[in-house]
Amino acid sequence: MALLENAFEENVLTTKVDWLLNWARLNSIWPMTFGLACCAIEMMAVGAAHHDIDRFGAGAFRASPRQADLMIVAGTVNFKMGERVKRLYDQMAFPKYVIAMGACATGGGPYFKYGYTVVKGVDRIVPVDVYIAGCPPRPEALLEGLMKLQEKIRKTAVIRKPAHLV
Amino acid sequence: MDFQAIHDRLRAIEAPGLQAADEPREPNKEKKDPGRSGNPFVTVDPARIVEFLTVCRDDSKLDFRILIDLTATDPKADGEELSVLFELLSIRKKHRLSIKASIPKSDASIQSATAVYRAAQWHERECGEMYGITFVGHPDPRNILLPDDWVGYPLRKDYEFPTEYNGISCE
Amino acid sequence: MTIEQQKGALTLGSEGRVLPSGEREFMMDVSTSDLEVNMGPQHPATHGVMRILLRTDGELVTGAQPHLGYLHRCAEKIGENVEWLQYLPYTDRYDYLAAMNNNLGYSLAVEALMPGLEIPRRATLIRTICAEINRIASHLIAFGTYGLDIGAFTPFFYAFREREWIQALFEKICGARLTYSYIRIGGVFNDAPPGWLQEVGHFCDVFEQKWQEYYDLLVVNHVFVKRTADIGVIPEEMALDFGLTGPMLRGSGVDFDLRRDMPYMVYKEISDAGALKVPIGRGEMGTLGDCWDRLFVRVQEMKESLAVIRWCLDSIEPGPVLGDVPKVIKVPPGEAYVGIENPRGELGHYVSSDGGKVATRCRVRGPSFTNLAVLEDMMPGTLLADSVAIIGSTDIVVGETDR
Repeated sequence: MALLENAFEENVLTTKVDWLLNWARLNSIWPMTFGLACCAIEMMAVGAAHHDIDRFGAGAFRASPRQADLMIVAGTVNFKMGERVKRLYDQMAFPKYVIAMGACATGGGPYFKYGYTVVKGVDRIVPVDVYIAGCPPRPEALLEGLMKLQEKIRKTAVIRKPAHLV
Repeated sequence: MDFQAIHDRLRAIEAPGLQAADEPREPNKEKKDPGRSGNPFVTVDPARIVEFLTVCRDDSKLDFRILIDLTATDPKADGEELSVLFELLSIRKKHRLSIKASIPKSDASIQSATAVYRAAQWHERECGEMYGITFVGHPDPRNILLPDDWVGYPLRKDYEFPTEYNGISCE
Repeated sequence: MTIEQQKGALTLGSEGRVLPSGEREFMMDVSTSDLEVNMGPQHPATHGVMRILLRTDGELVTGAQPHLGYLHRCAEKIGENVEWLQYLPYTDRYDYLAAMNNNLGYSLAVEALMPGLEIPRRATLIRTICAEINRIASHLIAFGTYGLDIGAFTPFFYAFREREWIQALFEKICGARLTYSYIRIGGVFNDAPPGWLQEVGHFCDVFEQKWQEYYDLLVVNHVFVKRTADIGVIPEEMALDFGLTGPMLRGSGVDFDLRRDMPYMVYKEISDAGALKVPIGRGEMGTLGDCWDRLFVRVQEMKESLAVIRWCLDSIEPGPVLGDVPKVIKVPPGEAYVGIENPRGELGHYVSSDGGKVATRCRVRGPSFTNLAVLEDMMPGTLLADSVAIIGSTDIVVGETDR
């Protein structure tokens, strides 16, 4: 894919091919099992039958970062864990996405002021695509975050040149 | 047994290192005493704490087989002492005991209770890294909750929060 | 054909016989050392972020060292810096599966320092109902995820079906699904909405039938029994020495439950009325104190909680739900330790005050921290394939281990 990536001018053919590639990608985002704290329980609830994440194609939680597309950082990240978050993010293959779920991953959460080992937002360690607010966010909020990520993927230019390089 | 009975028994068997008992009392305006609420505890000399705990565990009437908690507290920021706290529980006799031992901040070390209760091992590791207390005789005094290269003793009252750690800002 | 001598593991040994092809056989001296396998901090047996360093000699585990601190959130330091009531949301988050019990433990500890405060009876009964329903919810996760660890996917989905109902119940009473901050100092936050108590009664009736389904599905399942019986045995001496409490201790046959033996709130009345039965492990399917016994104790406790809830529903009466507590609480000087029965063991709070708005020490004794230490001595001698079952049977929540 590297040869074809961002190689073509935008015309009706490349737009359709991009539409197809993005459609395939956004309907099969496979998350990594990366629940850290309380938000992990709501992530498990999303994986269960009532709020089913499998209907979005994202139900196959892969344990290994090499096989996953999406890292849902669910819970507080502290310094000891932050090194491992970076290492796991580096091990994921492109295209990879990160959702910061919950207040702790977004900006430190309730541990913002007096938490001496808490990283105030996981975006200090890895680049984040979607932030979800809540403590913990409802399962429906996580599904909306996933849908926002799907919108972001839908607009990606894969084989077309991106807008700023045209 | 209630606290009075436990304290009487400790005195009767001459438990080593027993100093005093502190019980809740009503506030007294004449003596300018703000009073104290909560639970009673006994204070013990830290140099003889291991013998005291052994006696508590082995005596048939006390029978404190379980160490519930081992922690410390820093009562005042400008104070001189740290207090190490022990909580014991007896399953068969269904009673508890709280023990306090005071050690100086400048030379914070106390004997390890791992020989008496195996549960003390991890509690002492945590207490040591949070307060800077050395537990003499502990088999494995590493950091347990904090990273290995953490600077400072977080739970002391005069702890300064760090501004950055390994390149990640703490602000 | 020359065989290069490799450094380290493989060395050239003695010469052997001549094979039919004409080549000479060489004996290799293979020296092995123990393999150190890293389990975690990110691993699919999702009990949270915990790292266990296993040293194995082939399939046999020769050493296990848990490494903690990947979720250390400085709860005790925060307790010394925020006001009494502001600390309550932090208590939810250490054992996030049993948040009501955490709130209860903290509130009882602070109320022990305020002797003049009277808690209304309706508040105490609602507290008991919420704590027991939360015990059921927590044991449902223990049961569901234990099945998931072993490889059974169905109990997980069934357990979460009931959990969704419980979370809907809690959402009606306090607005939150997971971290409630509902049980406050002096009582509970607000009264149950109309119809809530009837719905709890209806839930108890339905859950009793579902319980039998879960029992037959997983607990007495032939494959499950084979995978968990006679594994991870904790003898009584070891359990007492390590300070274990809760189902870990009761699974080894020790008959002790804080609710019955050192009662707090209305548990004295409940146990006098015979509604509180404490299940203990009896070694029915294998050795006493194995993994199956601990799961058995948890599943039985779910059923016994229903009797407690029903007793509370029968004796509840209308009334106030919050005692006479000022908006900004100032606690009189003193110190107290109060321990309650969490689904995982004894959750203890040691609070000390000097008369101000902020605590001088707020220590949390989490049962999972003490329960995890037993792995160091219990796991050597077991097989690597059983390590997931053993770790799952301790039912730890890393928020509580690390605080």
